[in-house]
Amino acid sequence: MGREVAESCIDGVIIEMVSAYSTRFYSSKPDVAARRIEAIGYQVGHQLSERYTMERPRFADHLEAIKFICKDFWTEVFKKQIDNLKTNHRGTFVLQDNHFRWLTRISLDPAVVANTEAASEGESGADSGAQMTSMLLYFPCGIIRGALTNLGISCAVSADMSNLPACSFVVRIKA
Amino acid sequence: MQFFGGSATTEASLLPAAPPGTGAGGPGNNAHMLYIFNRAGVCLLYREWNRPLRTLDQQQDHKLMFGLLFSLRSFTAKIDPTVVEKGNLGVPLLPGQGCSFYSFKTNTYQLNFMETPSGIKLILITHPKTGDQREPLKHIYNLYVEYVVKNPLYVPGTPIQCDLFTKNLDQYVRTLI
Repeated sequence: MGREVAESCIDGVIIEMVSAYSTRFYSSKPDVAARRIEAIGYQVGHQLSERYTMERPRFADHLEAIKFICKDFWTEVFKKQIDNLKTNHRGTFVLQDNHFRWLTRISLDPAVVANTEAASEGESGADSGAQMTSMLLYFPCGIIRGALTNLGISCAVSADMSNLPACSFVVRIKA
Repeated sequence: MQFFGGSATTEASLLPAAPPGTGAGGPGNNAHMLYIFNRAGVCLLYREWNRPLRTLDQQQDHKLMFGLLFSLRSFTAKIDPTVVEKGNLGVPLLPGQGCSFYSFKTNTYQLNFMETPSGIKLILITHPKTGDQREPLKHIYNLYVEYVVKNPLYVPGTPIQCDLFTKNLDQYVRTLI
């Protein structure tokens, strides 16, 4: 069908993009950087969903569209399906991926923290690690938002990374 | 230096399986130390599993190791009797090209060396009876690429502090003979 590219290249581009936006372009304004990263993800999701729904009929309701995201779309982009989908039947969905592909290689804290001096440095290290990870997660949030918007569902997506490498995406549909 | 618990991680499918080592290897370890240097001579990683004697302080130790290997590589390429033309000495080469030494042995230890085209030098010091360690060094380099280079939180050129990498490295080194 299309041409193919090595996955390491995609990994490299995404890592560098997140790092460039958060440390070089808008280093003093992390929320602007986050919004830019999310906007890039939005574009990507928009175009990807166009490509992956080419032969399908229109979706009957919101749940069908979310299920498409969890199964086919996630398989195309991340080579696996979403592991767990929860909903409150009032417009909020939680998509949980227990082994998110872009987070598998992150190790947040250094292994051994010997003394208090190292501990305080380790804390700020852990903070910036957590911050970089949350920046990284804005990109897939944007992808989901772009894909859903293209299917006619306007929503807001946020990520929750309480235990790596599992992470969940919370989708709130605007009624 | 203590070993980490080494419980199997779920990322086993990401890497090719380590070549099987024979023998369960007791509490001791055949590998003594591992150094990883980058192109500029910055010591990215220094791991030791079994080093009874320490002669120099840490900084001098690293500088000596890096300087030694740089000179040794240039020297072995210079006196190579089979090649007429020597290219740029000191520049990292592709694995098949040029002439590069890969280990030296004394009566108490064996030093195994590998340099990648990107200038990453891996030095593994083992027991003198271990065989050719080029494949294990390649595997360690694969571990490095998977867990360090592809880690979004790692800044290239700084010492490695990745938990996943050290855990997998310790686990792998224990399977070496």
